[in-house]
Amino acid sequence: MGFIFLTSGLFLGWSLGANHHGNIFGAAVQTKMIKFKYAALISSIFVILGSVAEGSGGSATLNRLGSVNAAAGAFTVALATAISVALMTRIKLPVSTSQAIVGAIIGWNIFAGMLTDYNSLLSIVTSWVVAPILAASFAFGLYFLFKHFLNRSSVHILELDLLNRWALLIFGAFGAYSLGANNIANVVGIFVSVSPFHDINLLPGLTITGLQQLYFWGALSIAVGIYTYSERVMSTVGTDLYKLSPITGLIVVISEALVLYLFGSKQLQHLLLSMHLPTIPLVPISSSQGVIGAVIGVGLAKGGKNIHFDTMGKISMGWVTAPLLACGLSFVLLFFVQNVFEQPVLMKTSYVFDKNVLLELKARGINLDYLTDVNGRQYDSARSMLADLDQMKEYSRNEKVMLSQVSEIDNLQINYQNLQNTLKPETFTKEQWLAIYQINGKKYEHDWQLKNDLVSLSNEWKLKDKKYKNQVYNTELNKKYNILYAYSKVARTVTDTDKDGK
Amino acid sequence: MSVILKTTKIIENQIDQFLDIVSECALLFGLGIEDYLAERTSQFEERLEAIRQNERKADELRVHIEKYLYEHTLIPENRGDVLAILENTDEVVDHIKDTILQFSIEQPKILSEFDDLFLQTTRASVQAVEMLASGVRSFFRDLYAVSNYIHKVYFFEKEADHLAERLKRQIFSTELDLANKVHLRYFTYQVEAISDYAQAVCDRLAIYVIKRQL
Repeated sequence: MGFIFLTSGLFLGWSLGANHHGNIFGAAVQTKMIKFKYAALISSIFVILGSVAEGSGGSATLNRLGSVNAAAGAFTVALATAISVALMTRIKLPVSTSQAIVGAIIGWNIFAGMLTDYNSLLSIVTSWVVAPILAASFAFGLYFLFKHFLNRSSVHILELDLLNRWALLIFGAFGAYSLGANNIANVVGIFVSVSPFHDINLLPGLTITGLQQLYFWGALSIAVGIYTYSERVMSTVGTDLYKLSPITGLIVVISEALVLYLFGSKQLQHLLLSMHLPTIPLVPISSSQGVIGAVIGVGLAKGGKNIHFDTMGKISMGWVTAPLLACGLSFVLLFFVQNVFEQPVLMKTSYVFDKNVLLELKARGINLDYLTDVNGRQYDSARSMLADLDQMKEYSRNEKVMLSQVSEIDNLQINYQNLQNTLKPETFTKEQWLAIYQINGKKYEHDWQLKNDLVSLSNEWKLKDKKYKNQVYNTELNKKYNILYAYSKVARTVTDTDKDGK
Repeated sequence: MSVILKTTKIIENQIDQFLDIVSECALLFGLGIEDYLAERTSQFEERLEAIRQNERKADELRVHIEKYLYEHTLIPENRGDVLAILENTDEVVDHIKDTILQFSIEQPKILSEFDDLFLQTTRASVQAVEMLASGVRSFFRDLYAVSNYIHKVYFFEKEADHLAERLKRQIFSTELDLANKVHLRYFTYQVEAISDYAQAVCDRLAIYVIKRQL
């Protein structure tokens, strides 16, 4: 069954490779600076390196798809995303795979009757606007900087050509490495618990873990996508929207990389904070939207006459269509998988409004006066719980999201040994590991109970005030919490599966 | 990086060598015509031989550069333009060789009263070719200097035209046989045409400069 579930992840990998390769090497290949076969070879090598080296850490296995709590559901959501991205690739449009995934998950949320966090929707819409504008501004500025430099330089045309070629190659290789590192979790991360691969002992001390094999196959699927179907999107980036020259192609690639690094890098944020310098706001940036913005920026810097605005319109439509299509497809496919193939696409989620939950809600500033109707009740589905919450007009949407989050029964159990074996030591600090050790074996009905316990044991598990300067710290800490929650659950699921298998 | 640039440097040197030959051919042509007018026959024949050898070398270099650029898919955006420049510049060298060869074969009888204008026309054409070589060299390295050289090529071409016209008028105002007059007009035209060839290359060069600008 694991192999069957994995196929949709591999299909998603293929779609991702086919669509995103254009963002990395589209300009270089279309300006004939790098032959497609070499670009594909370099991308494939670096995608695999990035996936296996960076992606196989504990934190990377967690991803947006992680919220889908059943393997068949994850399979379907990944399939819907893959189909949506593949269709966009077919019509030569660069789209964001992450946004398509969010769309497909919203489809799953609707199917499961769960409340959707509007923040993820907001980040998609923000990226549609912010990413192209930022990348276009950078490309616009860089164009004049390059022009100034090239006008005054006496570099031979052949040397310039060679430097340009190498720059495109190096930026492309970095791009491919990041593509692998950032997206492999989206491709196969969710299938870690149903992975059909077992550890292979090659030599004493040299073991290829099942996780590494899984990531390798995921990366390979991206590489196959690059080789077999990525030329279509390349022409959109390199020629259809605006005919790039080798130098303007390089400007596009640099602008895209700069925007992704400056506005998406938490490491840079950390560095600036540690140096007591003002930070750059982190905004959601998609490389597909960045590259299109950069091409337009160059086109505008050259007077804007030769930009094909009809193509631009088509691309923008693709950005909106991809997540919507993924959402619709996800909903329809989930229905089929559940009712035709009789596979459980969502795990039963229960909610309870007992004394502990009410106390926690009170601590979070929720007015309990209106909860008398649900007090003491337990719900076996999100739909029935939300139906009751819908009656309470006194609570805002955000408060209802909080009510559902706090009342959700998670059933977590801390298994220190299991976490030590699965996660890299650097996932948590020494103090954080110590706190986990102290609650080893303890069971929790709700995730916030685990959080409260950890905070009481160590300050390093405590979130800082909601100030802008603490944003990165808190995001990182929340990420650690999510790893802990997921691996406490994952450990249980694996054990159950193993038992079933036996 | 120096290792990577090594192969490129070889081709850069070959382009420079090619342009050196173009310039040298023009200078040799000027000296050859001076020798011819001063009736230093053996020295004139040596100049002709030197131009012939240079022309062959220019052809070889051009073919090698073209082959290399194509085989290594270098400068994809400007390759066609660069090859056109090299081929058209090579045609100037061919024309210089053909003209001096015609002098050697046909031995036109140039009256001493025409010497000065003949030399002036030759010098204007030679200057035009020299400026062309510098312009092409700048196209590869210093794009914004090209227009200065193009301007000078146009100037010397106009000067050569003007001088050739005066020479032709002077030729046809004498009592020489018509056959002699026509013969001398032909050689005047050939010398003047060298600057026309240089100008034709510059016309294209001006467009390629615009294409190369960011």
